[in-house]
Amino acid sequence: MTAKHSTLPVSYRLAVLSRVLAAVLGGYVLTALASVCLTLWVPMARADAAVTGMTGSFLVYLLAVLWCFGCRTAWRAWLGLIAPSLVLAAAAGLMYWGGRA
Amino acid sequence: MLLAGLLCYGGFTGLCLSMDRHHAELLGRKASIAERRWFKWAGWLLLGMSLWAAVSVAGWAFGLVQWCAVLMLSALLLVMLMPYRRRMALSLAALSLLASPIAAYAVL
Amino acid sequence: MKEGFRQAMAWLHTWAGLIFGWLLFAIFLTGTLAYFKDEISHWMQPEIPARSVPTETSLTLAQQYLEQRAANASRWIIDLPGAREPALSVRWQSAPAKPGERGQFTEKRLDPLSGAEVQGRDTQGGEFFYRFHFQLQMPYPWGRWLSTIAAMVMFVALISGIITHKKIFKDFFTFRPRKGQRSWLDGHNAVGVLVLPFHLMITYSSLVIFMTMVMPASILAAYKGDVQAFFSDVFPAANTAKVAGTPEPLLPLAPLLEKAREHWAGGSAGQVTVNNPGDTNASVVLTHNGTDRVVHEFGRAVTFSGVTGQLLAKTPEQSVPMAVAGSFYGLHMGRFADPVLRWLYFICGLASTAMIGTGLVIWLGKRQLKHAKSGVLPFELKLVEVLNIASMSGLVIAVAAFFWANRVLPVDMAERAQWEINSFFIAWGLSLLHAAWRRGRGAWVEQLALAALLFASVPLLNAVTTLHHLGNSLATGDWAMAGFDLACLGSGLFLGWAAWKMQRAGQPEITGRNRQRSIPLEQEAH
Repeated sequence: MTAKHSTLPVSYRLAVLSRVLAAVLGGYVLTALASVCLTLWVPMARADAAVTGMTGSFLVYLLAVLWCFGCRTAWRAWLGLIAPSLVLAAAAGLMYWGGRA
Repeated sequence: MLLAGLLCYGGFTGLCLSMDRHHAELLGRKASIAERRWFKWAGWLLLGMSLWAAVSVAGWAFGLVQWCAVLMLSALLLVMLMPYRRRMALSLAALSLLASPIAAYAVL
Repeated sequence: MKEGFRQAMAWLHTWAGLIFGWLLFAIFLTGTLAYFKDEISHWMQPEIPARSVPTETSLTLAQQYLEQRAANASRWIIDLPGAREPALSVRWQSAPAKPGERGQFTEKRLDPLSGAEVQGRDTQGGEFFYRFHFQLQMPYPWGRWLSTIAAMVMFVALISGIITHKKIFKDFFTFRPRKGQRSWLDGHNAVGVLVLPFHLMITYSSLVIFMTMVMPASILAAYKGDVQAFFSDVFPAANTAKVAGTPEPLLPLAPLLEKAREHWAGGSAGQVTVNNPGDTNASVVLTHNGTDRVVHEFGRAVTFSGVTGQLLAKTPEQSVPMAVAGSFYGLHMGRFADPVLRWLYFICGLASTAMIGTGLVIWLGKRQLKHAKSGVLPFELKLVEVLNIASMSGLVIAVAAFFWANRVLPVDMAERAQWEINSFFIAWGLSLLHAAWRRGRGAWVEQLALAALLFASVPLLNAVTTLHHLGNSLATGDWAMAGFDLACLGSGLFLGWAAWKMQRAGQPEITGRNRQRSIPLEQEAH
């Protein structure tokens, strides 16, 4: 915060950009997957399940954003989103194609 | 809402006085350990009573909303008053506590 | 590592707060004004009298009017007057030219006492602030997307702020004025922490309100792409029979109000929709007016046959997830709030706005100090300064300009509603230019002073241009009208005080000592 803008290295700026992209785009994908997972797994009527999934989703987005900026490196930001996304996608897919239609 | 507000303000003043820094600010001297504990208990008790007052008068839904509103704004009032009108902040608390039985009688 | 995390959160809070702060300030200020949108509309259309008339009478008059003017419409919608909305408005939708298309809507305001049309001056009134705060005057759906994105950033800023604020409990009652940057930070923390339940509620609820738009994945997954089916499930009263083609007289609507009330444990109808009036398949949907409950019930309605009066459908009891979503919606809207609680909502909204504003001031103030010796700010900081001034004092001037335009523009001017809105944006734009040209403390003082003048003279303006001045409104008990004048006067006095403080702070003899005190946010996090 004390360095003048002209002396911030490009690598720093790229890292920040990477984290922002991770948070905004990656975070959205993770949130959508979490929302779908919750909707498909919760034992409620479809309308209620959808509402539950959507209502709680923003907490997931918050955590994703805090992770992306709180973790040590920009690479970790992406990894920290991709790994849970794969798990959630698997769980959601299981319910969507395998479980109750 | 008035009763809950009066109790909230009193409660927050109590909690405030339980802190060394503010005790000195408001009453001019440091608080002893016993005083601090007393103010803390009194403060929390008053806040609890204000919640009970709000909910008994207006039910859970309206009561909780009203309680949150008076909770936030009584704290804000106290914090804004303290640096400018130290005596008014304190006398308001005293008045609130005196007036609350009357307000309670009126609504409950 | 904990320090590293706190520092990262401080960084996030600072940058998210800056980039979206200007937009969020506008959203929160206009949203706060929207809590009094009906009262604002009343002031802006003084010709329309506020009359309280039994609902049954209004409904009967509306029915008579519609049977005369809109007998061939495919749908009538009657908005019944309420405590804060004294107008009776009717809308009707004509049959669409082609099947599957939407028919044209016509809207009229009626006097609830006589049933005759009333024509107040053409204005959007308080609705302008309401719509602006979530649509941002942008075409559908872009404005809503932007405001919802801003809400998500606000949520992140709130939580990162809480994480960063290390001594949140120790400093709960701390406010030390007259200490320069320290005081601004104390103020920011005070309005932030003490009103935190409101900030969190209003922010999260705004996300829930638009969740079907921004997070539709759940609906698509659960309904396998059939989004319409979801909305049919949530709003079952919207499913109505198609027109039969055989004419049948519509029964009197007024008695249905009482029948509906029996089905609801308290509360009354806010809106009456008649589908296919004058047809065998006429149905009357009475939608519950939510002002008696905190938790909003989406689409709560009873449907009767328009010919026999028989109960056709009644929306089921709300499920828990719907009640949760409904709680967010209801709390955000605050429709249930009586005048006292409504003022408390308003004050909380002002606190949110102040939290954002103080944050923007602190962001710049801290960095300005580093350039105090050279006296020249780098371009980025100059930009922030200009945007700060324009988005805060400039916006306030724009609001005043909107009210002034309402009284100054001729009543029969064409497109006057649009021109009132144009005045708002022209004033805002001019304040941006002024800030860019004038720069620094001078711009602040001048803009705050102008805003103060404009607001404080609103009661005078009202007296000069209409008969509904304070003397009149206080005498007749028209609290909305009088309250508006008085609130403007109060705002003017506050802005005048702010302008005066701003000017004093610029005088070096007084603030020489205060300039040196600055507490960097990162240091604070330690």
